[in-house]
Amino acid sequence: MDLEMVKYLAELGKLEFSDDALEKMAGDMTDIINLMDTIKEFDVEYDALKDNHNVGFNELRKDESKPSMATEKVLSNAVNSADSFVVPKVVE
Amino acid sequence: MSDISFESIRMMRTALDSKQISARELTQMYLNNIKDNDNKILSFITVTEDAALKQADEAQKIIDAGESKPLTGIPMAIKDNICTEGVLTTCASKMLENFIPPYNATVMEKLNFQGIVMLGKTSMDEFAMGGSTQTSAFAKTKNPYNTECVPGGSSGGSAAAVSAGFCAAALGSDTGGSIRQPASFCGVTGMKPTYSRVSRYGLVAFASSLDQIGPIANSAEDCALVLNQICGFDPHDGTSSREQVPDFTSKIGQPLTGIKIALPKEFYAQGIDDEIKTSVLAAAKSYKEMGAELVECSMPSLKYAIPSYYLISSAEAASNLSRYDGIKYGHRHEGAESYEELIKLSRSEGFGDEVKRRILLGNYALSSGYYDAYYGKAMALRQVIRDEYAQVFERCDVVLAPTTPSVAYRPDEQVSDPVKMYQADFCTVTVNIAGLPAISTPCGYNKGGMPIGMSIIGKRFDEQTVIALADAYEKSFVRTPVSL
Repeated sequence: MDLEMVKYLAELGKLEFSDDALEKMAGDMTDIINLMDTIKEFDVEYDALKDNHNVGFNELRKDESKPSMATEKVLSNAVNSADSFVVPKVVE
Repeated sequence: MSDISFESIRMMRTALDSKQISARELTQMYLNNIKDNDNKILSFITVTEDAALKQADEAQKIIDAGESKPLTGIPMAIKDNICTEGVLTTCASKMLENFIPPYNATVMEKLNFQGIVMLGKTSMDEFAMGGSTQTSAFAKTKNPYNTECVPGGSSGGSAAAVSAGFCAAALGSDTGGSIRQPASFCGVTGMKPTYSRVSRYGLVAFASSLDQIGPIANSAEDCALVLNQICGFDPHDGTSSREQVPDFTSKIGQPLTGIKIALPKEFYAQGIDDEIKTSVLAAAKSYKEMGAELVECSMPSLKYAIPSYYLISSAEAASNLSRYDGIKYGHRHEGAESYEELIKLSRSEGFGDEVKRRILLGNYALSSGYYDAYYGKAMALRQVIRDEYAQVFERCDVVLAPTTPSVAYRPDEQVSDPVKMYQADFCTVTVNIAGLPAISTPCGYNKGGMPIGMSIIGKRFDEQTVIALADAYEKSFVRTPVSL
């Protein structure tokens, strides 16, 4: 896998790497993709209609309001102010 | 191991209810053992001593009132990716180094209803991604049988804690073998239930179509006793099953006559250590002597299990881990000047190398131009693997396989090589891909004295047969005790 592809994937994953780390990651990812490529030998098509036999989904809950978690609890692990999450300034 | 002489949860229950020992005394014995010996294996990230003693006193009130439940006062350890209200839950990642959940996972609500004593939170591979517990940011756990070797992973802390006698039982989570493989490496019993049996609400998500919480304990029966209390429908988990929850101990002791055990040849092929093959096949012979029938068969798609598993699980992980943005909770980079910078730097500082590799692989598999060749193909393989198991289960009751291709190794032998690490999951991942129940129990030791585990894989929702078979073998198997 070349450096440009690793940079592209890192951008998708919102990750940054130093130049050295990027080189190392490109080497690791090349080895990993070589392993993943063995799947290409297997001649089979994905059939979406057959999917999810082992992941069953419940019926949807009734659409009714219920008490939610207290604001104080929701914010307890965040930098917060005045009952809000704090983020860097996004408008001039 | 200290002077704790209770061999099983059942014995502990009897001793507590008959007042041979108080819940506080029992808890204190385990806490003392952790205090004296965990520095040798580093199985815990957090020990909740004060809270444990308070829970023990509460449990004692229930016992004194004659109202004890099956797990009241039983000291347990919990993997550090299961949310515990008010107690640090790090997922062994710098990303969640200071995360204190404001709610309990459903399994914790159920265990607290039982009145268990939680001794602490155990170490693991970061975000449950790994098979060695060496990617933990806080405690690189060691194997109690040989502290120079890894305990396996990702639930390595839970397995090592049970093996070392630091708790009566523990909870782990299993996405591709993360309960069974460390149980095998540490010489204890670990059970991965059928997908959807146990609610995932409050389990920090890795790969949502594969993750499942389960017990690690000293025996199949102890696993069943814990499993009895953590299963059941949960409206908080959209994939939770409404299947009736039986008494998982109910088939224990039944004769094995007529039970058909499949031995797929791919699980006994090149790449599996000879000592492990010999040990598991000797166990198969024991089952035959107990009345079971052995059936040789083939599952050709197992050859592609590793890429199928890693593509699906990494794709789901890349999506699940996108929630870590440094804003709502988790590590936050100080001094970021823009929203974009805050997210990128928080994630880059908070995640370790293996987590980053999985995110990159997942994004690669899902990218335009690669999706069909990788993710689509992996999902197709998932269908084939599931169908192959279904065909085997038309003729047989269970599959018997080694849990791991090798015994516990020294970290420098393979931890730094991701491809080697991935290939080592060959024996366990298909169980998650097909959503099946499986148990790993010890079946021998290699020449160096390291434990060997075998896996019994069952039909969906047939945990009872799997547990009964493991128990039948355990009854005559003599375990080598750990000495720290």
